[in-house]
Amino acid sequence: MFAAAAAAAVPVLAACGSSGGGSGRTATLNWYMFPDGSGSFATAAANCSKASNGAYTIKINVLPNDADTQRQQMVRRLAAKDSSLDILGLDVTWEAEFSEAGWILPFTGARRTAVENGTLPAAIKAAVWRNQLVAAPLNTNTQLLWYRKDLVPEPPTTWSQMVADATRLAKEGKPHYIEVQGAEYEGYTVLFNTLVASAGGSILNASSTSAQLGEPAVKAIQAIQQLAQSPAADPSWSNQHEDDNRLAFESGNAAFELNYPFIYPSALQNNPSLAKKIGWTQYPSLVAGQPSHVTIGGNDLAVSAYSKHPNQAFDAITCLRGSANQTTYAIKGGLPPTLTALYTDPALIKGGYPFAGAIYTALQNGVARPQTPAYQSVSLQISYNLSPPTSVSVGKLNTLKSRINDALNSKGLVP
Amino acid sequence: MSTVTVPAPRAGRAARPTGSSTDNSRLLAWTTVNTVIIVVSIVPVLWLLSLSFKTPASIPDSHFIPRHWTLENYRGIFGTSLFTRALLNSIGIALISTFLAVLLASMAAYAVARLRFPGKTVLVGFALLISVFPQISLVNPLFNLWRELGLFDTWPGLIIPYLTFGLPLGIYTLSAFFREIPWDLEKAAQVDGATPYQAFVKVIAPLAAPGMVTTAILVFIQCWNDFVFAISLTSTNRSRTVPAAIAFFSGASQFAQPIGSIAAAAVIITIPIILFVLFFQRRIVAGLTSGAVKG
Amino acid sequence: MTTAAPPVEPASPAGRHKKGETAPLSEGARAERRLGLMLCAPAVIVMAAVTLYPVGYAIYLSLERYDLRFPNASKFVGFANYGTVLSSPIWWQAFLVTFIITIASVAVEFVLGMALAFVMHRAIVGRGLVRTFILIPYGIVTVVAAYGWKYAWTPDTGYLANLLPSGNAPLTHHVSGLAVIILAEIWKTTPFMALLLLAGMALVPEELLRAARVDGATAWQRFTKIMLPLMKPAILVALLFRTLDAFRVFDNIYVLTSGANNTRSVSILGYDNLFTALNLGVGSAVSILLFITVAILAFLFIKIFGAAAPGQEVD
Repeated sequence: MFAAAAAAAVPVLAACGSSGGGSGRTATLNWYMFPDGSGSFATAAANCSKASNGAYTIKINVLPNDADTQRQQMVRRLAAKDSSLDILGLDVTWEAEFSEAGWILPFTGARRTAVENGTLPAAIKAAVWRNQLVAAPLNTNTQLLWYRKDLVPEPPTTWSQMVADATRLAKEGKPHYIEVQGAEYEGYTVLFNTLVASAGGSILNASSTSAQLGEPAVKAIQAIQQLAQSPAADPSWSNQHEDDNRLAFESGNAAFELNYPFIYPSALQNNPSLAKKIGWTQYPSLVAGQPSHVTIGGNDLAVSAYSKHPNQAFDAITCLRGSANQTTYAIKGGLPPTLTALYTDPALIKGGYPFAGAIYTALQNGVARPQTPAYQSVSLQISYNLSPPTSVSVGKLNTLKSRINDALNSKGLVP
Repeated sequence: MSTVTVPAPRAGRAARPTGSSTDNSRLLAWTTVNTVIIVVSIVPVLWLLSLSFKTPASIPDSHFIPRHWTLENYRGIFGTSLFTRALLNSIGIALISTFLAVLLASMAAYAVARLRFPGKTVLVGFALLISVFPQISLVNPLFNLWRELGLFDTWPGLIIPYLTFGLPLGIYTLSAFFREIPWDLEKAAQVDGATPYQAFVKVIAPLAAPGMVTTAILVFIQCWNDFVFAISLTSTNRSRTVPAAIAFFSGASQFAQPIGSIAAAAVIITIPIILFVLFFQRRIVAGLTSGAVKG
Repeated sequence: MTTAAPPVEPASPAGRHKKGETAPLSEGARAERRLGLMLCAPAVIVMAAVTLYPVGYAIYLSLERYDLRFPNASKFVGFANYGTVLSSPIWWQAFLVTFIITIASVAVEFVLGMALAFVMHRAIVGRGLVRTFILIPYGIVTVVAAYGWKYAWTPDTGYLANLLPSGNAPLTHHVSGLAVIILAEIWKTTPFMALLLLAGMALVPEELLRAARVDGATAWQRFTKIMLPLMKPAILVALLFRTLDAFRVFDNIYVLTSGANNTRSVSILGYDNLFTALNLGVGSAVSILLFITVAILAFLFIKIFGAAAPGQEVD
């Protein structure tokens, strides 16, 4: 039924896809991408189309703002083998899933080498599934510890120190909350992933076939409990997403915030006097003397398996993630680049990334999310079984372990 | 059920204030009641209004009345065709769906309420079951079907599902309504030589106006607010409606919620609803006192 | 769907006459049948066109092991997906939550809706104004209203949370979270109830009430003895559609609590399994179970209301 539907749709769609007018066959490449208020994607698409000398024209198809909805729209089309998708903007958590379902094409041979050259190893790692590079990193992202320099002259380096500092501030009657994601959603899974990795472990085993957890997960749970039981926890913690944390921090009641760099330009605009007091440092570690391992986010570009113009699409991706374009995305769109060289580029640092060095260090030590096609189910199980953060206990780890194993095999109901 | 042939004038009209103290106190009582109701209805809307006028910096300040006013959110949404075109689509699609739903539902409801024919119970049961099926399970198959039929991302592609979900409510509301109508009038008309069709259009339709207006308002709002179909069955400005367009608003950065623009859009799209209701609310009870019945 | 069809009477020995029809149809009855079917046909065609294939497809999926992420593992599994859902405590928790939200919101909405309908019907001042204002909440897009409520109830960013003792975050607890969800539902959909009840109220003949008043009936007696029975069909429609709608509550929960602290409804569960986990087999089973539950509720309603239900013979 689906195949029939797709077959019927193909001629129409292909007709608008390739305007085969005589000599130069210019392929129209449909780029499905999340919205970008700055217009930097549109600029890049236009520049790359021009630079291709008539090989292709990139047409942006804007997806909704919310990542879940973006994924649904693309999945719906891919499941129907829609050939009108060429380039896909993917969240780093979707690569394994899209690849396993046969929806995206791997980068092989020279193409793979070209992508890997000069790109952050951690970002590459997140785009690899079954030893194949299935997507090209476009931008990356990671969290830092943001703190109020006026309240905390010397930033903490460990989780315990951070909670202790905040507790002391609470006793002094000063702003003291630690803003961190805690709602029952994927962002909370990211927190758990960061804590487990920082304690030296991982959520899944090396081959992604079953849950690992173990002693590092116990340490991660204890860290969450430590914060939950201290006055440093925001009363809204168990309902907070990244943006709620930003708003709470901007309202001035917090001393610390564990979040992505988007909070800094936002503070500069919304609360300039507060922005002057914001300092940044590495995410606090769980093992004294060891660096923290923060979860890496960001977006990749991939080529749809149903594209009529895969070769042009691969070429276009190379151009779209080129150094000049990544600088534009970073400065205008606030998306940290994946090319190592840019982190020492003065243009980037002056262009709104005074914290580029700190981000680079965090990315060097960064860790990927659990890599499995069933990531969304695994994440739902983690955020469900460990919520709310105020009532987590080590005892829940056994249940979590078996739920994760179910999720890996797409068994059972996900919450 | 009722044998009444000529409904009486409405109570409100019958009450003529004469200036006595009881009338004054009644007036006061009603004013108080109305005020309370309006306040409860409107305060959460005013909060959205307030958010829509706040600068990004003052959104988290918790003040009900903005301290720093801005029109930036409105400028932002009207600055792109994303919103303006979606507004046009919303109005067109909702109006057409409402018109068709009320028309088709009236026909079916008349049959259900008035005529003996086989399969009536099946129809009524079927309509109800249709309206209760979880919409999220419908969208993927419908997406495939629509693409095959060329209905994807078109007005009819949204109007048809809206009709489907407006019809059951319409059929139920209207058939409940039609049963209570004094049908002797219809018989009288038929005795006077009118066909069943004429009896329906000339006599029953005006009598049924309150039910039809109620249905129209409910169906209009239902179409107006739909998100699930709008986001799944459209892909461009051609047919995207406002609730779906809101999902495309982007904040200052990837994680930031564009709450100011969302609130502004919510305020704007409430205006057509208010106009629609203002325009039609008079008809809600006016039907029974209209000319067709008198005499 | 077939269960809704009346049992087909076996053909009588005479062969032609159905039960209740002792004589061949008269010309008039035949015309009436034709008209009835003709009037219903357009509505039935539209409804069937949109739903039959998707509903059939959902039933098929619910009997399959079908996960978009593992396309090669697809196979027929019978009722195993239903077993998975029904044996999960998560399903029952969601079921209970959905039930609580439905009962609480519909009950409150019915009482409030009746009061509002009365005001819309009887108000002697500003009737047009109050009618319009009453309907505004229903006109606000649910997701947007939900964002408004979320901000309002979050400490430091909202006016409502600031009325509470400091440190209270109502959205982060099971009971208060549910209360906020129910409140948001009530605020939003009471107008729906009120408008339908108003339409019913408008049909109560005025002189019947006046006559009763002359006979010495109290206001309460006039309400329960005259208005309620006459409004029964309207009440049925209002309660039925609101209950069925409430049972599928999604938007408010999705925005307000994301289902945290066991506030997820059955629809949230269906969404997570269908759209997030892409497990179409289990997700469709959730949908079908939700569908069956709601259909049973609808059936009960219609039984309770008996002859007041559409399609039933009045006398």
